[in-house]
Amino acid sequence: MGAQILSLFPAANFSLIAVILALPLLGAFVNGVWGKRLGNDAVRVMALSAVGGSFLASVVTFIALASHVDAHIEGDHHEHVKLAWTAWQWMHTKAGFTGGNIPIDVRFSVDALSGVMMLVVTGIGFLIHLYSTAYMAEDPGFARFFAYMNLFIFAMLTLILADNLPVLFVGWEGVGLCSYLLIGFWYEKMPNAAAGKKAFIANRVGDFGLICGMFLLASYTGALDWTGIANGIGSLKDTTQDAYLIHVWPVGGGQYQGIFSFLQPHNPLTITAATAVGLALLLGCTGKSAQIPLYVWLPDAMAGPTPVSALIHAATMVTAGVYLICRLSFVFTLSPFVMMLIASVGAATALFAATIALVQNDIKKVLAYSTISQLGFMFLGVGVGAFTAGFFHVFTHAFFKACLFLCAGSVIHAMHARVHDDERAQDMRYMGALRKHMPITYWSFFASTLAIAGCPLTSGFFSKDEILYRSWVDHSVNPFADVLTRQKLEMFVPPQWLGPALYVVGVLAATLTAFYMFRALFMTFWGDEFRGWTIGRPSLVAAHASDDHDHHHDDLSVPGAAPKESPWQMTVPLIILATCAVVAGLIFNAGPINIPALHSMDHWLEPVFEPVARTVRLSEGAEGLTWPLAGGGILAFIIGTGVAYWMYIMEAGRPAEALADAAPGLYRLLLDKWRIDELYDATIIAAVDALADTSAAFDQTIVDGIVAKVPALLVSLFGSILRAFQTGVVHVYAAFMVIGLAFFGWFFVFPHPAATVTAVGKDTGDYIVTAAPGMGYQYRWDADGNGQFDSERTSDQMSVKVHLDEGKTQNVRVEATSAFGFSNSAAIPITRAASVKPMQLGLN
Amino acid sequence: MITSDNYVALSAILFGIGGVGFLVRRNVLVTLMSIEVMLNAVNLALVAFNRARPDNLTGQMFAFFLIAAEAAEVAVGLAIVLSLFRIKRTVRTDDADLLKN
Amino acid sequence: MVWVGQVYFYVCAAVAILGAVATIVSRNPIRGAMGLLLMIVSIAGLFLALNAQFLAAIQLIVYAGAIVVLFLFVIMLLGPSSMAPRDKRGLVGRAIGGTVFGIAVADALWLTRHVVGMPMRELDASFGSIDAFGHTLFSDGIVPFELSSALLMVAVVGAVAVARGKQGEEAHTPPSGQPGLAGVATSGTSPASGFADVRATRLEGHGHSK
Repeated sequence: MGAQILSLFPAANFSLIAVILALPLLGAFVNGVWGKRLGNDAVRVMALSAVGGSFLASVVTFIALASHVDAHIEGDHHEHVKLAWTAWQWMHTKAGFTGGNIPIDVRFSVDALSGVMMLVVTGIGFLIHLYSTAYMAEDPGFARFFAYMNLFIFAMLTLILADNLPVLFVGWEGVGLCSYLLIGFWYEKMPNAAAGKKAFIANRVGDFGLICGMFLLASYTGALDWTGIANGIGSLKDTTQDAYLIHVWPVGGGQYQGIFSFLQPHNPLTITAATAVGLALLLGCTGKSAQIPLYVWLPDAMAGPTPVSALIHAATMVTAGVYLICRLSFVFTLSPFVMMLIASVGAATALFAATIALVQNDIKKVLAYSTISQLGFMFLGVGVGAFTAGFFHVFTHAFFKACLFLCAGSVIHAMHARVHDDERAQDMRYMGALRKHMPITYWSFFASTLAIAGCPLTSGFFSKDEILYRSWVDHSVNPFADVLTRQKLEMFVPPQWLGPALYVVGVLAATLTAFYMFRALFMTFWGDEFRGWTIGRPSLVAAHASDDHDHHHDDLSVPGAAPKESPWQMTVPLIILATCAVVAGLIFNAGPINIPALHSMDHWLEPVFEPVARTVRLSEGAEGLTWPLAGGGILAFIIGTGVAYWMYIMEAGRPAEALADAAPGLYRLLLDKWRIDELYDATIIAAVDALADTSAAFDQTIVDGIVAKVPALLVSLFGSILRAFQTGVVHVYAAFMVIGLAFFGWFFVFPHPAATVTAVGKDTGDYIVTAAPGMGYQYRWDADGNGQFDSERTSDQMSVKVHLDEGKTQNVRVEATSAFGFSNSAAIPITRAASVKPMQLGLN
Repeated sequence: MITSDNYVALSAILFGIGGVGFLVRRNVLVTLMSIEVMLNAVNLALVAFNRARPDNLTGQMFAFFLIAAEAAEVAVGLAIVLSLFRIKRTVRTDDADLLKN
Repeated sequence: MVWVGQVYFYVCAAVAILGAVATIVSRNPIRGAMGLLLMIVSIAGLFLALNAQFLAAIQLIVYAGAIVVLFLFVIMLLGPSSMAPRDKRGLVGRAIGGTVFGIAVADALWLTRHVVGMPMRELDASFGSIDAFGHTLFSDGIVPFELSSALLMVAVVGAVAVARGKQGEEAHTPPSGQPGLAGVATSGTSPASGFADVRATRLEGHGHSK
């Protein structure tokens, strides 16, 4: 069947991609422009069909890709194939060391990596759209919501399917924009708008890094699309070029002299170009994927509706950073330093976020910090060179995290029936015993919690354990190690203890993950009674039925109906996602447990990561460490779950309170998210504010004061002088006219002789002196320069011819007499330059 | 012998008188009359030159048109004087300073 | 009898200068108008000496007969306020302007004192006659002729428009209260009932006409 599809759409011009992209865009446009007029039902149909159609097209594309891959198998070796489609030629630029032309086209391609992501985005996107039709049913901004959601799907697909960096950047910015729009969806409330802004600005800081990375790649490799960069990658490690090293301090490779000489370091600090590119791109990825230092927007992003959190901040947008690292894996692996940095940042973030999630009471905040922590795991995976494992974790995380968020949304939806304060509706301290009232939600949440905690045989187990295993055994190898050692150049080698250290941190984070996820589960769904409101008996409910209608003053001390299970549009996606969360690992596992004859993810992604396979070396005895290291992961799960069970079920939360009382400072610090937001406020934002204040002061005093006021003063000064002339009385004007006329007349009465000298021929020594004409002028000449006029009488002769020898100067005088009898004379010096004799070379 | 320079000198003298009167006097009617004097002086010069070179009658024709134009000018000028008087009730040019500054 | 021409010239010149000086010097504008008239007549006489018969006639008809009369009309219309009282304001500016101009003219005359003029040869009588003038006017000068007719039309319309003022605006009565023709152009109250006491009527009209 794939072959039939390929015959319809050739692999080089696979225009079905246009359908995948165009359907969500069309949905966004129609819902955005005419949504309100069309009504909720039409909007729902439009949005669902747009994403559903896109999903179907994605499936068809994937089948075509699979058959295309099968057609290019040689033995066990896959070729890296992709289906591409060019929309139009966008622009071109000159870059690269050779100054070559880089054409930038709007071009999309589907290969093994982007094929999987595409299915994930459209599939989970469709389920979340279905969920939102029930969740947002009563919201007045229904049409606007679906317009934004469809637009987000379009932008995310642009990002994933892009064939070059500029188009990816368009998608990158697009998802940032949609994230802003959707976080601040209920913009009437100030905190929601502020959260949207924070997300956008934090992303923007990262985008700066991405742009710098783009520029560096374009100028070094001379290309911006994946194949081009791969081809030109050699120049990043070309040690013969001057640009191989980028001078960080002193900046630009100069020398500090004179009074600045104290700044001059002993050894100039340089980084390789590959490291620079990696750092720049890493900044972009930390912004989008919420790692340290740019993670601060993700917890605040919970201000948006829960489906938004599920789609954007769990499954898709935040994984864009990991996707970029996988995409440009061959660039990152050039620099072992950057790889170490990625892994360290990932591990640190995983642990850091897990500690914050331990004490949060808002269920969405717990899930937000859990997302940050899991993203840290993904970064850890790709940072140690386990790209397939990291990407597999992206794949599984999409399922269980989306499921977790949707379950939380289901619970909040039920709470909102009586609780209208947003914070209280999400507070886990007011939930409990919901497994009796909302069974489907409970079982989905339970399944996903098992997955995230790493319960064996769930998908989370396979992905997380693979990452932990590889972090111990992987060692980065510099792909150009032999060249560098031959040239005796510096080479960064990560320390030997890095692997085990990362493993330990990872296991610790996994333990904390299991603990806080089960804590959330127990607080929300277990327990003896529901803490939100008293659940009244049916007779009491009927008597107080009228209370339910007063939405703003619902007295929670009055008994009310039990929290209800959500409608089918919400529960069906939960079931589907929970099932995938559990079984995806078994089907697509990339771990050591291999079920042969099933196309595993590892095998599928092999051609994509083939170039980087030789940059990773497994340490000796790696095979034997498989089960012991996996055991560490299982132990983490057991300890975390066990402690949570003991603390919250057996001891009903008392140890938690005792710990909080014993270390109140630490507890507050964790609850306040380590006060990082306040730190940023005090340092960076304060610095920007100070700069803004300085600029404002400069603008007001100097620019407004001097540049604007001084010319104004000058103009008014001259104006007052000139105004004195405008008396308005005609006589005065006439008097001025007469004075002007008198000057004019003086000019005519007294002659002003002037003459021009023109040379005859070239260097003949003959010059013609021509006098300027005037009214009634008569002339007398002194052509030979002897000081006496040649004739006594004046005549009409206006020009005279003079001959000069070389190097001589002669003063010709002319006297003009006007008709009134006044005469005036002027002297005209003529010089003839001495000619330069050619140098005698001594040759005759 | 009366030659053309006699007439031109007379024209210059009359022109000078008219010009001084225009610049010095403040009564707008006297100013207009001084303009008449100046124009007559110019007419005289034109006709005198034409008499000195009687190839054609251009000079006299010019003077003729000057008289016609000058008549128009006097009419409009006096109308303006009347308007000024109506507004400011004065015939002094000093007081016609509505365009001051 | 050649000296007759010279005497005629000098007499006419003297009268012209006298008239011009009278124009610019007199305080009473009526005297000035009379001086102007004198000058015009003497210029007409000089035209006759220059074989410009037609022009002399035109000068008398248009200048003396229309322009000076127009001046007199306006002077009478303005009444006594056509005479501005003496005061010394702005004397410096005027004095400078006049002096500079006068010196310039005198200087020009002085500088060209030895210039030899062009002699006037004998001419036949048809030079400057109506025939010759008409010929030239309607051949070489046809365009300026038509244009000047348009100019005169424009001047008439313009003068009417400027002098008319706004509709219904009333002319101010002269401040000194002396009977003048200033109130003729306007107001409803006709002093028909007040021939005997013009002043009282004027005051009464004054009260009404506001």
